[in-house]
Amino acid sequence: MKFTKIASATLLSLAAVSVSQAVTLDVEITNLTQAQSFTPRLVIAHDSTVDAFEVGQPASSALAWLAEAGVIDDEQNAASSGANFEALLGPADTDNGSNTWHRFGGLLAPSATLSYPFDTMDKPYLSLLSMLIPTNDAFVGMDSIEIPTEPGTYTYYLNAYDAGTELNDELNSARTDVVEAGTGNALGGYGVPGVAGGGAPTRIVDLGTGGTGVGAQVVNGEIEDGEDGPVHIHRNALGDTDNAGGASDLDSTVHRWLNPVARVVITVPAS
Amino acid sequence: MKNPIIKLSTLLILSSLLAACGDDGDTGPQGPAGPQGEAGADGTDGQNGQDGADGQDGQDGVNGNSAVYTVQITNLTYSQPFAPAAIILHESGYHAFAEGEAASMGIEVMAEGGNPSMVIEEAMDSTDFLDAQNSGGILGPRTTGDTFTLVVPELDADDLRLTVTTMLVNTNDAFTGLNAANVSNMAVGDAKTFMTVTWDAGTEANTETAATMPGPAAGAAGGGGEAAGYDPVRDDLADVVRLHTGVTTNANATDPSREGLATSVLNEGHRFDFPTSRVVITRTR
Repeated sequence: MKFTKIASATLLSLAAVSVSQAVTLDVEITNLTQAQSFTPRLVIAHDSTVDAFEVGQPASSALAWLAEAGVIDDEQNAASSGANFEALLGPADTDNGSNTWHRFGGLLAPSATLSYPFDTMDKPYLSLLSMLIPTNDAFVGMDSIEIPTEPGTYTYYLNAYDAGTELNDELNSARTDVVEAGTGNALGGYGVPGVAGGGAPTRIVDLGTGGTGVGAQVVNGEIEDGEDGPVHIHRNALGDTDNAGGASDLDSTVHRWLNPVARVVITVPAS
Repeated sequence: MKNPIIKLSTLLILSSLLAACGDDGDTGPQGPAGPQGEAGADGTDGQNGQDGADGQDGQDGVNGNSAVYTVQITNLTYSQPFAPAAIILHESGYHAFAEGEAASMGIEVMAEGGNPSMVIEEAMDSTDFLDAQNSGGILGPRTTGDTFTLVVPELDADDLRLTVTTMLVNTNDAFTGLNAANVSNMAVGDAKTFMTVTWDAGTEANTETAATMPGPAAGAAGGGGEAAGYDPVRDDLADVVRLHTGVTTNANATDPSREGLATSVLNEGHRFDFPTSRVVITRTR
């Protein structure tokens, strides 16, 4: 009788702990592309009021910053302050009520895998976003999956989306012979045309030059910064095989991808 | 006539009074009984009894209850409008098409010209058919469509399949949707989301010319429309349904790769990758 009582008391206390204790997941992400690097990963645990992106809906300014420039918070880029995901969600690594989030820094090279511990602070859903470079505004997205509660490993395959906030001109932003139409601004990054990340250390080949534009055309040394939203599945980079001309400054034999572009394995620990 | 009666009754009363007095001396004979007293007042009403117990629940009806579902499609492509969609709920025995097998005429007509009516008619011929909707309109790229309601007998909710077919109109015979996706045993309020691939119906060569595609890309090149849709000739590489490899387009037709199809009226914007659509089914009753 004594033994029985002790055992049932132990079970009760374990049950109480597993309900109240926040879960630290292991989040492993693999870049499945052959030549697209992933910018710092935004991982968000959240409730149903948070929706980092939604197909068929226009991108937020926060998503535009992430998809055009790989920027998530003020620390990465002060100019994004007030318009980035930090502004949308609240401080990092904090229980913001509706969410908690973390930026996993550094680039994730093609074919590479990284894993991180992530405290969900008992939020029910998980989203993950990261820009593909070099592109205009492509991002890989995990769209509000329900975080499993049973211990185990769970595998998800993620697609590449087009944020729709910039036309896919596929122009090398290192070029000085083309500027943004109307403003004369240099190419690259948020709010201006041109692909971001062409000079990233994880690049597989150097970008070409002399392209005349894919989703928008160079006219008299100027290129339009238009939109092509709402958020949708990316139609893929086009590229071409002319390193000094053609339509694109990307390489069609190198920079293309097909979905899925990332694998995420979530491990829910035994409590 | 009244007087004789009154007189008579008066006499009777007088005689009875005299008799009650009895006579002096010995006890007289017992007098007659007195007149009957007045009736007592009525008693107060009793209290009401307690309520009776509830009756037993009625039995479930047979074949009388319906399960109701809504279906909503989102076009995930950049520049491929979707033709009207066939949305069909059925039991597990039916397939509108099968990879590796020749397409039915309904699938061919839908995939080449966009009209899904015959896909629905073919489904209705199956004993596994339950309900269908023709979405009836074009669903533009990057757009979430209306919700369509389908009703099936509740008894069939435990063995339920969803088939959706809709043409990508800037193609020769590409269509996306679902092939008998399992939606069994959904509770009221449950939703299921499917991200769909795109098939090549295998019924028409992928020439990407203005004369063979019904959509706006062909229209802009002087073709398109109904005349450029369904053609009974089956001239594809193989007369079987399989996954689509994407459109070639005329992009890069002149760069050193020559990978583009110079005779295509499609451009790089018409390219698409999987998934091509998102289908959300929700059980509402």
